[in-house]
Amino acid sequence: MISLFLKYSLYFVLYVLVQVLILNNILFLDFINPYLYIFFIITLPSTTTRDVTLLVGFLMGLIIDIFSGTPGFNAFATVLIAYIRPLFQKTFGPREEHDFLVPSIKTYGVGMFLQYAGYLVLIHHFTFFVIESASVAHIGSILLKTVCSSAFTILLIAGLEFFKFRR
Amino acid sequence: MKTLIRFLLKSKTLFLFLFLEIVSLILIVNHNQFQRSWFLNSSNAVVGEIYTFSNSVSEYFNLKTVNENLAKENAELRNLLHVQENELNFIKQDTNYQGRKDFAAEKNFTFITSKVINSSTNKYQNYITLDKGSADSIRPNMGVINALGVVGIVSSASEHFSVVLPILNPSSKISAKIKNGGNAGSLVWKGGDARIALLEEVPLYFPVTKGDTVVTSGNSTIFPEGINIGTVREFRKENYNFYFIEVELFTDFSQLSFVDVISYKNAREQKELEEKEGIHD
Repeated sequence: MISLFLKYSLYFVLYVLVQVLILNNILFLDFINPYLYIFFIITLPSTTTRDVTLLVGFLMGLIIDIFSGTPGFNAFATVLIAYIRPLFQKTFGPREEHDFLVPSIKTYGVGMFLQYAGYLVLIHHFTFFVIESASVAHIGSILLKTVCSSAFTILLIAGLEFFKFRR
Repeated sequence: MKTLIRFLLKSKTLFLFLFLEIVSLILIVNHNQFQRSWFLNSSNAVVGEIYTFSNSVSEYFNLKTVNENLAKENAELRNLLHVQENELNFIKQDTNYQGRKDFAAEKNFTFITSKVINSSTNKYQNYITLDKGSADSIRPNMGVINALGVVGIVSSASEHFSVVLPILNPSSKISAKIKNGGNAGSLVWKGGDARIALLEEVPLYFPVTKGDTVVTSGNSTIFPEGINIGTVREFRKENYNFYFIEVELFTDFSQLSFVDVISYKNAREQKELEEKEGIHD
C-alpha cells in the first residue's frame, strides 16, 4: 500500500514535470497544446476514492496552472474529469468486479480504453479551451484547438500505453 | 436535521466537487489579481528555481548556434579591424590609397561599395555573389577589389545581384605585374590553396625577388594600374622564356564582407576603339 502510494507520488511529480518543462513548450501551429498530465488522473487505480481523486485532480491542475500562469484553468477542467471519471469507467470498463483495477489497455482492451481515455481528454481539453478563450463566442477556434490538441494527447497516451503493454 | 446531515454526508463528493470547482472559478475570475497575490508569488520562487534549472539544461542544446553566431560576429569584427588597419596604413603611407582615389577621380573610375552575400573558397569553381546589380550600375567585366587587394571580375549582373568571378576560379585571368616595373603577365589560379595564385608569362629578362609586390597592370579597362594583389612567395624558371611565380594573395577570400566594384566610365569607348583597331587584351 505504501509502495503504491510512493509509486503514484513519483508518477505525479513526473507527469507534472513532463507537462510544464516539455509539453507546455510544444505549441505547434499556435493551437496544439497537449495536456498529457491528465493521464495520471485517468489511470488512477479503482481503489482510489472519488474524494481523493477530486483532491488530487485539483492539486495537480493547480500546480500546472501555477507553472503556466493560468490560475484555475487546469484545476477546473481536471476536477471536472476527476468527478465524471467513474461514469465512463462504468461504461467502458470490464463487466466483472475487481478489487483492484488500473485502467489500461490490458484491463479494458484497446478499443474500450482508448474510448474511455479519449472522451475524458476531449472533455478536459474542451473545458480548458473554453475557459481560456473566456467565452463560447469563438466556438470555431475552440473546437479546432480541442480536436487537434486532444488528438495529440490521445496519441501520446496510446504510445505510453503500448509501451507499458509491450513490457 | 438528521436527514440533512445524512444527505450532506451522502453527497459529500458532490459538495467537494462543487467546492473545488468554485475555488477554481474564483481563481479564474480573479485571474489578474491573483497573479499578483502572495499565493502565486510565493510559489513563484519555487517555480522560478525549477524554470531556471530547466533553462540551464536547455541552454546546452543551444550552445552550437550561439557558438556559430559568436564566431560569425568575431569574423566580421576581425574583418572590420583589417579594413580599418589597412586604410590607416594606406593613409599613413599616403601613397596607394589616396593615390588610388585621386587616380580614380582623374580617370573617371568610380567605386560602388557592395556587400558579399555569398562566397566560397573551397571549391574549384568559386564564385562570389554581391547584393547589388545593374540597378546600381554594376555591369559584367567590372573589377572588384576590397581594402586589401583585388577580388575578381564581375561575370554577370541581374537587377539587384551580381556574380563575381574571383581570382580563385580557373576561368579568371587578370593582367598583373611586379610593382617596380616589368612586363605584364596573367594572374591565374589552378585550384588548391585559396591564398596562393600563379603569375604566368612574366619574361625571364626581368629580375624577380621574393617578397616583391604584385599589382594590377592597368593594361585593361577592368582595373586601374597599381592595385595590390599579393607578394611573390616562390619563383623559378619555367622554361626558356617565362618565370613560374607563386603569389601570396593579400585578399582573404574566406572573410570577404564588403567590396568595391570599379566602374570605369569610358570603358566602352576605349573598348570599341581598341576593337576597331584590332587590339585584344
